[in-house]
Amino acid sequence: MAKKKKSVGQLLLGNWDTKTIVGVAIGAALFGVLMNYGGIRVFTNTSLSTAMIVPVIVGALFGPLPAALAAFFGNVIADLIGGWGFWFDWSVGNGLAAFFVGLLPLYGAYITDGVFKTKHIAYYAICVVVGQLFSFGVVTPFLTYLWYSSDLTITFSQAWAASAANIAVQLVVGIPLLFVLANRYKRGTNLTKE
Amino acid sequence: MDKRLFINTKPGNTFLDKLTGKTKVRTFLILIFLLIATWDFRLILPLFFLGLFALLSLHPDPKKMWGVTIFIILMNLFNLLLLWLVSPDYGRNLCGESTVLFRLSEFYIVTAETLWYFLVRFTKFVATFLISMTFIQSITPSEMSAGLHSIKIPYKICTIVSIAFRYIPDITRDFNNIKISMQARGMELDPKKTKLGERLKQNVLILAPLVITSFDRVGNISNAMDLRGFGKKKDRTYYSEHEDTKGDKIMLPVYLAFLALFLVIVFMNIFHPSAYEVWCPWIG
Repeated sequence: MAKKKKSVGQLLLGNWDTKTIVGVAIGAALFGVLMNYGGIRVFTNTSLSTAMIVPVIVGALFGPLPAALAAFFGNVIADLIGGWGFWFDWSVGNGLAAFFVGLLPLYGAYITDGVFKTKHIAYYAICVVVGQLFSFGVVTPFLTYLWYSSDLTITFSQAWAASAANIAVQLVVGIPLLFVLANRYKRGTNLTKE
Repeated sequence: MDKRLFINTKPGNTFLDKLTGKTKVRTFLILIFLLIATWDFRLILPLFFLGLFALLSLHPDPKKMWGVTIFIILMNLFNLLLLWLVSPDYGRNLCGESTVLFRLSEFYIVTAETLWYFLVRFTKFVATFLISMTFIQSITPSEMSAGLHSIKIPYKICTIVSIAFRYIPDITRDFNNIKISMQARGMELDPKKTKLGERLKQNVLILAPLVITSFDRVGNISNAMDLRGFGKKKDRTYYSEHEDTKGDKIMLPVYLAFLALFLVIVFMNIFHPSAYEVWCPWIG
C-alpha cells in the first residue's frame, strides 16, 4: 500500500469528509453517554470514566483534531443532558487532552493501515501523560480562574484526580484497544492486497 | 427509555416550541453565558424564576422531572458540603468579611458570608439546570443545527452537534440493552458488591459491543448523507428553519437586552473589578 505521505498539518487537521464528520458526531454522542452512565465514581465530580476511550478511538480512526472536537462537544452535550451546569473549562481541557491522545499518526502509528508496534506504546503513553497533565493541570485551572473565578483549590484537587483516572483508563484500556483496532484493520489491508 | 433523557425530534406546540431554532439557540447561549459571568444574586434570582417559568410553560412530564431535579439538588448540596469541609471560611475570599454565626471547632466555623455564597451558588446552578432543561425539551436536533449556523458557525460543525444530539437516545438505549443482557448472563453490576478493578473490567466489557455498534453506524449515516449531496457546496440552508413568527419578534429585543447586559458585566469585570466577587447585601 504505497500511500502518499501527508504533511504534518494535514495529519493534525485530519481529512474532513462526511465520514469524519459523522465519526466525530457519533464519538461525541458516545462520549456524552459514557460521561453520564459509564463512570465509576472515585472522587467528587470525578470518575474513572470509560468515556476517555472515545478520544483514543476517534483519534486512531480520524486524527487529532477530530478527537479533540469529539471530546469537546461530547463534554458539552454531557453537561447539557446531565443538567449539572456548564463547565466549559473542563470541556476545553478534555478537548485538548484528546488532541494529544489523537496524535497517533504523527509518530507513525497508522491504525487504519494496521500499524501499531511496541515502540508506539511508549510514544502513546508519553502523549497521554503530557496531554492530561498539561490540560487538566494547567489549562483547566487557568480557565476556571478566568471564567468562573472560584473554587481553585477544589479544581486543582479534582484536576489531579481526573488526570490520574484518565491516564489510568487510557493506558490500561487504551493500549490493548489500539492493538485490537490495528489488527482489525491489518486483516483488511491484507485482503485488499490479494 | 431512560428517565433522564428528554430529546425530542418533533417540536411541540407551546410558545417556546414554536420559536425558530435561531431564537432558541441564541437566547439559550446568552442566558448561559450571563449565568456563568455573574455572581450577583439580584440578577441570578430573576433568572432562576425565568428558567422555572419557562420550564413550566413547556408542561413537562412531572414524573420525569422530579427524578432529575432531586438528583441535581442533592448533587449540588453535596458539593457545597464538600466545599465547606475543605474551607469553612470560604466566604471571606468572596465577600470580604466573615461574620461567625457559630463554631463547631477551631477550624469548622459557620459564617454568614459562606452561607450567603452557598445560597448564591446553589441558586445559580439550579437556574442553569432549569434553563438547560428548557432548552433540551424545546429544541429538536435540526433546529439546534440551524440555530448554531445562524451565529456563523460552519455548517459542518453544526452537523456534528446535531448528529451527536440526535444519536444520544439511540446510544443510551444500546448501552442499557447491553448492560441488561450482561446482567442476564450473570454479571454483577451492583457497585456495593463488586470491587473497583472488577467494575472497571465490567465497564470495558460493556464498552466493547457499544463501541462496535456505535461506530458501525458511521458508514451507514455517512453514505446516506453523501447520497443526499452533503458537503458539496460551501453553505447550506435548513428545512427546519421557518420564517420568524410573532414570538420570535417578541424574543429578539429580549435576548438582545440580555446580550447587552452580559457585555456590560464582562466589561465591568475587566475594567472596574469590584474588590470582592460576590455581592453581599449587608456589606454592600
